[in-house]
Amino acid sequence: MRMVIPIKQILDPAGITVRRDKERIFINREEYIIDPGSKAALEAALRLKEERDQAETIAISLGPARTDDALREALAMGCDAAYLLSDPAFEEADLSVATLILAAAVRKLGGADLILVGRQSGDTGAGQIGPRLAEALGYAQVTDVYALAVENGAARTTRRWGKGYATVQVQLPAVVTVAPEAFPPRYPHGARIMNAYREWNVPVWGCADLNLEPSSLTPLLTFRGESFPPPLEPERFRGNPTTVAQEVITALTLHKLINPGGGSHGL
Amino acid sequence: MDFSFPKEYQLFRRMVREFCESEVKPLAKVIDREHRVPHETIRKAAKLGLMGVPFPQKYGGMGGGEIGYCILMEELGRVCTSTTTVIGAHTGIGAMAIYLDGTEEQKQKYLVPLAQGTAIGAFGLTEAQAGSDAAAIKTTAVRDGNHYVLNGTKIFITNGDIADIITIMAVTDPSLGAYGGITAFIVETDTPGFSIGSLENKMGIRGSSTAECVLQDVRVPKENVLGQFGAGFLTFMKALDVGRASLGAGCLGGAEAALEASIQWARAREQFGVPIATKQAVHFMIADMAAEIEALRALVYRTAWLIDTGQPHILEASACKLFGSEVAHRCINRALQIHGALGYSRDYWIELGWRDQRITEIYEGTNEIQRIVIAANLFRPYGMRIPT
Repeated sequence: MRMVIPIKQILDPAGITVRRDKERIFINREEYIIDPGSKAALEAALRLKEERDQAETIAISLGPARTDDALREALAMGCDAAYLLSDPAFEEADLSVATLILAAAVRKLGGADLILVGRQSGDTGAGQIGPRLAEALGYAQVTDVYALAVENGAARTTRRWGKGYATVQVQLPAVVTVAPEAFPPRYPHGARIMNAYREWNVPVWGCADLNLEPSSLTPLLTFRGESFPPPLEPERFRGNPTTVAQEVITALTLHKLINPGGGSHGL
Repeated sequence: MDFSFPKEYQLFRRMVREFCESEVKPLAKVIDREHRVPHETIRKAAKLGLMGVPFPQKYGGMGGGEIGYCILMEELGRVCTSTTTVIGAHTGIGAMAIYLDGTEEQKQKYLVPLAQGTAIGAFGLTEAQAGSDAAAIKTTAVRDGNHYVLNGTKIFITNGDIADIITIMAVTDPSLGAYGGITAFIVETDTPGFSIGSLENKMGIRGSSTAECVLQDVRVPKENVLGQFGAGFLTFMKALDVGRASLGAGCLGGAEAALEASIQWARAREQFGVPIATKQAVHFMIADMAAEIEALRALVYRTAWLIDTGQPHILEASACKLFGSEVAHRCINRALQIHGALGYSRDYWIELGWRDQRITEIYEGTNEIQRIVIAANLFRPYGMRIPT
């Protein structure tokens, strides 16, 4: 079974201060980490690999040269191979272009039985790469998965469903996006950390390697500048405590600050 | 000249810090109170290769060299000195002696399980009348066929009661003295005749056991002579030399933790209507801590680099231990002063850090011995011999 894990490298949020009053994001310490969702996807893949004799895990990542570090960390965690997708033509990639590039890389690898990605990334948080990749490759997909098993050519998954969970089974090949809270990542072994930099290689694939025409990589979205969202007007709730409590819960739910009845994540 | 850490060491430090913060730090007070480092913690460390960081991978080690090992000691030193001591005695002197002077067979048989953490190591030098004066040991080893029979008592042996493998220094020819008359042996602690006497009730590093090891007609196969017969003193001194650099790294971690805690507390604690961080008296203490820490960090990692590149390092390693322990002493003492009564309270960790720190000026060669080693190295080019 071949598992491909597209991972994303993000700026470490612990090194950032958001100053709403200045409408600026200050980078105090520019350090890049593997996105927590991607780390969970790696963990999910490595657990599946440990359960069987014949399985390979391949990490891929689209990004500039520094993304090499994220891929070497993936090797240290236990991946068998890693490829950096980097080319000057990739620099302006939006989600649609990123999907094209990642799909081309999967095809170059000879396809995958299972593609594992994080539910959404810790920076832009669009949560689209998984579903888009499934469409591009014609694979089945399950999103927001909390438990995962593979047998007889099918992935049996448990995913969020309303206020509870559903068991969803799909035929392979499939794309599965995982819930970070369900797959706390392992620490990489010290010896693998040393080998990841001293012994192992992370090949770089560009347009030519992936048979992509730079002209086909025109983003649908263009960057016009950035601004802070308008500050929310404070809402005031009055009345008897029972009604107020209900209104507060509704408001918090609408803003996705709480998830009442969502149940425990610990499956 | 490039002072940055190679990327594998940067990633290694990040992994170790996460491990220490989530697996060791929350237990530090329990480790002190219950006088033991949980087996589970050691098992988890072993699973990540942390019980054999400096050794080559062909011996089950991590391949991190002295630099990697110093990173581990520094990060552990930030959170728990007891755990630092257990892993340090196991790796830095116990297993290190076998790595430096063992035969290929000895390394396969003993270093591999030690480096993988499936066996725990210790270093048996100190006796009632022999500490700083290491050559004054009384434990004897007498040849009997294919074995040596060991008799004597070792004291203050870190990990003594949890170790599976101990390197023991014994007199094999009293007439020859330190150079020629002392031999190192690898002793498996389940050998009949090996037993544990009393355990020390210590002021600090209470989670690390310090045991009396009694050897009564312990029969050790002659294959377990470590290094050259009669050259045990040199074998042990070589291991101690390397160990001293990493002790400095542990002290560095402790000093850094003291500084960071002081900065946070000085910002939070208000007196006379302002944070005490606005007071010059506090500035001076914090600035001195930071300056000494910078100097210590440079010394420790340069020494580790000397060791990894096979260059002479005895003076520098002694300086790491001497300067490191005294910087740690001053930093934790200043941190306690800045924290005031909170620093003196058992409810906070500063008093634990203060108690734990004190041993670093004593163990593995007192600071007075380190000064003698440094001076001897300075006078040697002029033909002056100072016995160390």
